[in-house]
Amino acid sequence: MKTPPEDHDLIRWLDGEMNAAERERFTSRLDADPALKAEADLMQRLSTDLRANLPAEMPVPFGDFFNSQIQVRIAQEELSENAGSTKQASWLDWFRLPGFATISTVVAAVIVAGVMILQQPPTAASVVLSTYAPSQGVQVSSYHSTDAHATVLMLTGLEDVPADRKIVGYHIERSETDQAVAATTLYGERGEVVLVVAKDARNQPRLLAAANSRG
Amino acid sequence: MPASTAPDPGEVPDSDLVKRCQAGDTRAFDVLVNRYRGRIYAMTYHMIQNETEAWDLAQEAFIKAWRALPRFKLDSSFYTWLYRIAHNVTYDYLRKKKIQGDGEFDDSRTEHKVAAGAEAVPRGDDSPDTQMKNAELGDRIREAIAQLSPDHRQVIVLREVEGMQYEEIAATIPCSLGTVMSRLFYARKKLQELLKDTYENAT
Repeated sequence: MKTPPEDHDLIRWLDGEMNAAERERFTSRLDADPALKAEADLMQRLSTDLRANLPAEMPVPFGDFFNSQIQVRIAQEELSENAGSTKQASWLDWFRLPGFATISTVVAAVIVAGVMILQQPPTAASVVLSTYAPSQGVQVSSYHSTDAHATVLMLTGLEDVPADRKIVGYHIERSETDQAVAATTLYGERGEVVLVVAKDARNQPRLLAAANSRG
Repeated sequence: MPASTAPDPGEVPDSDLVKRCQAGDTRAFDVLVNRYRGRIYAMTYHMIQNETEAWDLAQEAFIKAWRALPRFKLDSSFYTWLYRIAHNVTYDYLRKKKIQGDGEFDDSRTEHKVAAGAEAVPRGDDSPDTQMKNAELGDRIREAIAQLSPDHRQVIVLREVEGMQYEEIAATIPCSLGTVMSRLFYARKKLQELLKDTYENAT
């Protein structure tokens, strides 16, 4: 059904979509046509009541839960996407998370380093798949030393570390991610559990367990 | 880092937060969710008239936005872009459910289960009697809107709640300007008809 142009005029006037000349002409029509004036008044009243009773912003019930559910959904989707990639790479995603620095003091030294290393069996060389430094001023690079049978991390841009500061490193041989509980277990060279980490409801890393570190 | 040097999340521009989101920062996205969840939820609630479904749809809109963020080029405001996603999510849902406002009440949709603390009526300093009348009018208006077709409900929400100009409505739906005007006209006529008793009793 095609709307007559005069009806368009009425709502264009009501919604302030007319230019000055059009508005003047329509006002003259309103003055001369009581029926049109009554219709316009009723529509104007309706519009005012709609605006008063349909707030543009409403408090979201259980707002915190609303947010955390979104974070959980995002984390679950990322986990699903990562399931297709290499198993060893999955746990490294933790180090891309912006909240990693809050895990705990147990891994504080690792946070300072900003990286962890994954040795990919069966090759002898370590492979750094990903690095993350909480500070953008810190550049991370690495190389494998066959003599030391170790991967060396180079951190450029760090402030001086006091000589008596203990730096803790973990030798990670492999990792396993349990999708059901969204937890990743990191194993050392003797197959011992070194760390177990998970994401909390807000998608932040949470340390579930840690073995004694090697100082 | 001292707390005083960290910017208040409320002061960080959307564009900065969007860029951080595009780099995978879910905390930045959380700030955006906090910033706009009330407006997005209001839109889905007005369109759906059911708190639980509106809550789910608002959340779905944010999830879709997160997925689409890598392709967002900041060629419009984040809210405009987000609103269109939320609008499409809600409208698709309405169409799938084939909710039609053919003049029959659907009790399941007009029975408002508003959570404690939720504000469905604006606050004011009116007397209790006036507040009660306003609340009744609000209920009647929401009942009437629930009886509109999705197309008519959509233009009413875009125009009266969001205050969009016709061209913005046409771009959001999308449709022609003529269609926007026709739908607005008939939606208002329908509401007038549905609220006739309310207005007659009030005068």
